[in-house]
Amino acid sequence: MRSRSLFQLLTLIGLAALVLTACGGSSKKKSSASSGNSGGTLMTVAKGAPSGSPDPQINYTLQEWQLLIISHDGLLAFKRTSGTEGTKIVPDLATEVPKPENGGKTYVFHIRKGIKFSNGKELKPSDVKYTFERLFKIGQSPNAGTWYNVIVGGDACVKTPATCNLSQGVVADDAAGTVTFHLTKGDPEFFDKLAVPFAFILPTGTPNKEVQIPPPGTGPYKFAEYNPNKQIKLVRNTNFKEWSKDAQPKGNPDEIIQKFGLSAEAEVTQVENGQADWMFDNPPSDRLNEISTKYEDQVHVNPLTAVWYFAFNVRVPPFNNLKARQGVNFATDRNALVKIYGGPKLAVPTCQILPPNFPGYKPYCPYTKNPGSGKWTAPDMAKAKQLIAASGTKGAAVKVNTDTVETDKALGLYFVGLLNKLGYKASLQALSPDIQYPYCQNSKNKVQFCWSTWYQDYPAASDFLNILLGCGSFIPNSNASPNIAEFCMKPIQAQMDQALQQGITDPSGANTKWEAVDKAVTDQAPWVSLFNPKYIDFLSKRVKGYQFSPQWYFLLDQASVK
Amino acid sequence: MVAFVVRRLLWMVVVLFAISILVFLIFFATPGVDPARQMAGRNPSAETIKSIKHEFGLDRSLPVRYGLMMKHMFISRDLISYGSHTRVIPEIVHAAPVTLSLVFGAAVIWIVFSILTGVAAAVLRGTIFDPFLMILALIGISIPVFWLGEVVNLVTQSRFHDTFLFSWVPPLGYTSLTEDPFMWFKQLFFPWLTLSILYIGFYARVLRANLIETESEDYVRTARAKGLSERRVLFRHTLRTSMITFVSLFGLDFAVLVGGGALLTEVVFGLPGVGLLTYNSLTSLDLPVIMTTVVYAAFFITLASALVDLVYAWLDPRVRLA
Amino acid sequence: MAVFEPEAEGIVLDAEETGGDIVGRSPWALAGRRLVRNKLALGALALFVLIVAVSFAAPLYANHVADTNPFESNISGTVTIDGKTVDVLQQGGGKLGLGETPIGPTWRSQYFLGADNQGRDVAARVLYGGRASLEIGIGSAVFASVVALIFALVAGFFGGWTDAIISRLMDLIWAFPLYLLAISLATVLLTSPNGLTISFVHVSADSLWIPLVIIGFVYVPYIYRPIRGQVLSLREKEFVEAGIAQGASNLRLIFGEVLPNVASTVIVLMPLMIATTILTESALSYLSIGVQPPKASWGTIIQDGQELLYTRPWVAIAPGIMIVLTVLALNILGDGLRDALDPRSKVRVKA
Repeated sequence: MRSRSLFQLLTLIGLAALVLTACGGSSKKKSSASSGNSGGTLMTVAKGAPSGSPDPQINYTLQEWQLLIISHDGLLAFKRTSGTEGTKIVPDLATEVPKPENGGKTYVFHIRKGIKFSNGKELKPSDVKYTFERLFKIGQSPNAGTWYNVIVGGDACVKTPATCNLSQGVVADDAAGTVTFHLTKGDPEFFDKLAVPFAFILPTGTPNKEVQIPPPGTGPYKFAEYNPNKQIKLVRNTNFKEWSKDAQPKGNPDEIIQKFGLSAEAEVTQVENGQADWMFDNPPSDRLNEISTKYEDQVHVNPLTAVWYFAFNVRVPPFNNLKARQGVNFATDRNALVKIYGGPKLAVPTCQILPPNFPGYKPYCPYTKNPGSGKWTAPDMAKAKQLIAASGTKGAAVKVNTDTVETDKALGLYFVGLLNKLGYKASLQALSPDIQYPYCQNSKNKVQFCWSTWYQDYPAASDFLNILLGCGSFIPNSNASPNIAEFCMKPIQAQMDQALQQGITDPSGANTKWEAVDKAVTDQAPWVSLFNPKYIDFLSKRVKGYQFSPQWYFLLDQASVK
Repeated sequence: MVAFVVRRLLWMVVVLFAISILVFLIFFATPGVDPARQMAGRNPSAETIKSIKHEFGLDRSLPVRYGLMMKHMFISRDLISYGSHTRVIPEIVHAAPVTLSLVFGAAVIWIVFSILTGVAAAVLRGTIFDPFLMILALIGISIPVFWLGEVVNLVTQSRFHDTFLFSWVPPLGYTSLTEDPFMWFKQLFFPWLTLSILYIGFYARVLRANLIETESEDYVRTARAKGLSERRVLFRHTLRTSMITFVSLFGLDFAVLVGGGALLTEVVFGLPGVGLLTYNSLTSLDLPVIMTTVVYAAFFITLASALVDLVYAWLDPRVRLA
Repeated sequence: MAVFEPEAEGIVLDAEETGGDIVGRSPWALAGRRLVRNKLALGALALFVLIVAVSFAAPLYANHVADTNPFESNISGTVTIDGKTVDVLQQGGGKLGLGETPIGPTWRSQYFLGADNQGRDVAARVLYGGRASLEIGIGSAVFASVVALIFALVAGFFGGWTDAIISRLMDLIWAFPLYLLAISLATVLLTSPNGLTISFVHVSADSLWIPLVIIGFVYVPYIYRPIRGQVLSLREKEFVEAGIAQGASNLRLIFGEVLPNVASTVIVLMPLMIATTILTESALSYLSIGVQPPKASWGTIIQDGQELLYTRPWVAIAPGIMIVLTVLALNILGDGLRDALDPRSKVRVKA
């Protein structure tokens, strides 16, 4: 019968395929002329393309930032190395880090000579002015109106982007080779803001509309392909000559590819088989045991300056009551939450706002049995029940809000159980990840208890304390109000403002002030802080030279595959 | 006849229009949906959100927004996804071959095996094989396809991956036919099997039931009385008539699958086809992609049902009068 | 045309029993007899009843056998096996100690099938999950049947514009890709964070009514079509004309004459519909838009099991097996019912 022969044909094809793959070789490697560390293709995989626009002045994802730092440069940079050294600011396109003038309102940058974009054009100070005006003109840059409006003329540019003119704020002198910034007030974080991809310099003439592939840059690589459905490909920028090993070192691989479309499970298998060198996503929890036993030399775990937390709404019952908030904090078994995340090797319990190894961090944990050491040890159920009884909020209905990702839902379910044990009537409300964050932010929705996370933008205490718990960050009835807890206490805000002011001239003195702010805020319990997560980098066998920067995480181009 | 065709095609357009409006309303009625805010990123200023709203026409009235979206989808064909900020139509064009590969392969398998099983069961009626095959078929349609896929993955990727039986199974994903035909085949092999099991069961039963029904028709008894062999009776008479139902059902099912109905199989096996695109867009509330995939799917379904009705009308003059 | 077999129809037997008078039986009784003779269908019915009974006995199992609350996280919990106290969630191995793995099947009263990612007893959850899946499956099939029946009776009986409008509406729902419709509705309804309020009816976002109504709604056209066709042909039959001649009102005609004749179609369809709705509910729950946590259904447990597939496969396998058994039983039962109620579909040609 016809179908039988079809079956035979299929079997033959299957067998042929088997034979051919057995004989077939592994991934195609480009052999380069030079020996040693340089050369080859670094093959990375990710579930999907960096979400959002490919435009470097719009994209706000770490995934894209890891690639932008090797294709573009800013006036300043974070030192491209691992450990705490990696949080230092070093000069990049500028010759040196300028001293603040005029009370921190003026900075003069001298631009290095002889640096070329990947399109052959030479870098000039006027490119800097063009870049910052574009930041406002494209209208979609997330932080144009919150970070960069500190530049004179910035506020006007936010109002009418199309006619943005920064000739007062960014004075470029091509002849003298300088760019002078005039700010509306002193800003201790100005240098950090210059060292992130929003402020990376683009060539004059880049269209003032969102682009579909990052424009030419001054870094050692350039984007050759950006297909969100398939892959991103970076190749060497032949116009690049290393000018500062600290700011922008030469890269090792000749090519860096990031392929999309695989599930996290498949990615783990590919790295294990050597078909991929690194996976961007965290390995799924059911493979963790496998990789930590069979492939432990290829796994690197690093702490992150990030915090996972549940925010109370301090303006809506029952958690507008301080005792209730503190009670829940005492009752929380942070070990259980750590277990949900993947165990004590992947997360460290915390009670406070700032993460460890962060400017302004001093270990502080009042919400534990036997407080005093600064570390969380165990929940104190007795004290918790006492506080909640004293608060008079028992029996209140509480909705615990998380998104629909498994781990986050699991954390939420833990709290539903805990709150019920404490005498509340709790239920879970899980929203799609694309809706949940703005939903919690909008005070109109009166969310009582909301899951959230915060990963640093740059190493500055105000990035956590002021942005998440400052009075200015609470905007009523807005989907963009990062102060989810709706927390605002004038004395504490005054302390924050003082610390900000001091930071312009005396960063270490300011950090002592930030320690006090952290303590004061933690005592008010606007959150239940859960833990500080760690990041797992799983590399293939052939990858050498792994470095983890606290700012950019795995430094892709500093690894070598040869 | 012409009037019938025209009527069906007009109805198709009406249905697509109505569905697109329905989808549009459903999603803009969802509380908490604020595409401008979603696109604005982590910590945007109010002006940024306003600017994005204006850029994507989200500050206009509902009918205007609908009109704009339809215009971008059909006329200028440059509809932009809220999620990736790239054009939607190339995304679908990129995903379609994956779904087509999956569905064609599965269809070949299920047609072959369901005909084999259905005919065998009908011919072997009265012996133990008939109920045995039918129980197998029933089991086939009783298994949730996503669960079966998970179990297949468990066996081929994990538990028995190191044995000779399954060591050739590559990690989940899709490689295009032009890029590497062998990898294409290896990666699609188990998805084909998984998807087809449900349909083998269903079509085997349908075919068997039809064969048995036509068996008792007068013209078949006449054929037997004339002395024709069983085989002749089977192929010349009963099978042909039974295939009408088979083909019409197949047309509808195939159309649903091509339009993205193999969503669960694609999710479980990590195949970046239209189904997965649809699912991702639904969960991330990416309205332009949702709209395009829904219209794409509805188009195939309505086209297939129109074609099926046309074929019936052509075959059976009574139907045209309806 | 079926070959008439008096013995099977029970007529001859009755004649013998009653000593010569031929006693006819109602079609329903005849159907019942045919069904009872179908051993396979009986077995399927028994299996289905068993599954329902076991699922609804879930609280008994959870409280008395497993001694657990399967809806509460038990992350830091411990369990005693053979005198040894074991953590329910155990840290990963090796130098790195990454990850936490729940315990596997103990094959004892506690954690019979092991624990899931939150330390909950999987066996207890599978039983509770059965309850939810069956409630939604049966409920939505009944809902769909009732709605479809009403619309089909009205459309088929009154014809004309009524029929045209209703049928076009049904065509529209039918043309909407099934999963898209279900997923769209579920996404929207679940996002509405305070649940749904329609006049005096308030439904919370995690109520089982939401998936029930959605799934029921999606399948209305499937039942509507065959019933409407039947109503159309029944309307032309003599007994309806007789009814009209007798002066019966439309309502009486519909409910008195048409409905009973249509009933057998609905009954035959019912197990098949329940099988379909159970499969659909499990798919929606698997995609996280069906039953919401902490409630469990077989689909949600399979979803839970996805993350544990390579380490604790039983979490995914057990609910799947339950679904297969239930749906299989329903399919066999449906076949049996169809054979019993519609003699024309059964052909026994003895060689």
